[in-house]
Amino acid sequence: MKTMSVSKISCILLIFVFAASSLFLVANVSGFSESEATLASNDADGTVASAYTATLKAEKAGANVSDLLTRLDEAGDFLAQAHMAYRSGDFDGAILAANSARSIGEEVQNAADSLEVLARGESQQRLLFTLLGSIASVVLIVYGSFWGWRVLKRRYCERVLKMKPEVASNES
Amino acid sequence: MNLSEYRVAFAIVSLILILLATVPTLNLVFSFQSGKAQFSEFWVLGPNHIIQDYPFNVRLNQSYQVFAGVRNNMGSTLHYMVYVKFRNQTQPLPDALNSLPSSLPPLYEYHVFLADSETWETVLTFSILSASRVGNSTLVSDISINDAVFSVNSSAMWDTEHSGFHYQMFLELWFYNTTSMSFQYHNRFVAFWLNITGELT
Repeated sequence: MKTMSVSKISCILLIFVFAASSLFLVANVSGFSESEATLASNDADGTVASAYTATLKAEKAGANVSDLLTRLDEAGDFLAQAHMAYRSGDFDGAILAANSARSIGEEVQNAADSLEVLARGESQQRLLFTLLGSIASVVLIVYGSFWGWRVLKRRYCERVLKMKPEVASNES
Repeated sequence: MNLSEYRVAFAIVSLILILLATVPTLNLVFSFQSGKAQFSEFWVLGPNHIIQDYPFNVRLNQSYQVFAGVRNNMGSTLHYMVYVKFRNQTQPLPDALNSLPSSLPPLYEYHVFLADSETWETVLTFSILSASRVGNSTLVSDISINDAVFSVNSSAMWDTEHSGFHYQMFLELWFYNTTSMSFQYHNRFVAFWLNITGELT
């Protein structure tokens, strides 16, 4: 009898705890406050700005960033939605859009960082090959010039030596 | 041509060839500025995609369209933001002399990422959803821009000079400044006038 009542009480308690936690979760999901929306919006702004800066760095390193710009445009759409929802007092909508913008921003930042590393590597390799090519060309030109100059000089001297002196009369 | 003249000609040709051989490397090491003017183009066109036939006499709950566009000639990728604002004749426009935006709050906004020499254009659809007339003034309460509804609560007096209740819809161009890490007004805006006509609530 006693054990029955204990199990009943614990069962009721469990149901109560479950119901309370569900209510707590629902309250958290559907009723976001202004400060939470501000936080989410600022976070999204910062992440998209960082993603843009990372994309600029990748572009400067010589990477093709057209795909990243397409993704950034999508993030920008969400960012605009978040700002407009926030201004109209729709904090749930603002947080939802801000989270989407942040998620794309993070993805773009990671991709931009990887692209920058790749582009820097390729750029250094290109610089090395171009530098070696230039050095080799300069060496060839200098060697060719000296060789050509010697040949030209020898032929010039031979031509001068083969010339017969002519006596010109001065009858003035 | 004597030998010393040959020597000078040979040296000049060799130097030119050396210079040509080092150009690719110099090009990679030093970035030469193009000297190209850096600016952004910003426009608003009428519904026929020309600078005519802008919506002017607007009626309640009717939909109107304009085209808004930006072209990036700034030399690198830019993050642009376009604010759409609405004002009556007494509310402030941006201050072009001091490069200041209008102090009015934005209604709609666009965020666009444009590579150098790239163009973006969009259709901006708007309608006056709710407006009332009291005496010789009109109060516009709600307008819709691209299906989003905004409360404006802006009133305009009857303009005796131009005969109408005049409002202006204007778009401001901003860009993200990576140095200050914030959006900066680009000192460019485009605007078109609206005259609220017809039956009001």
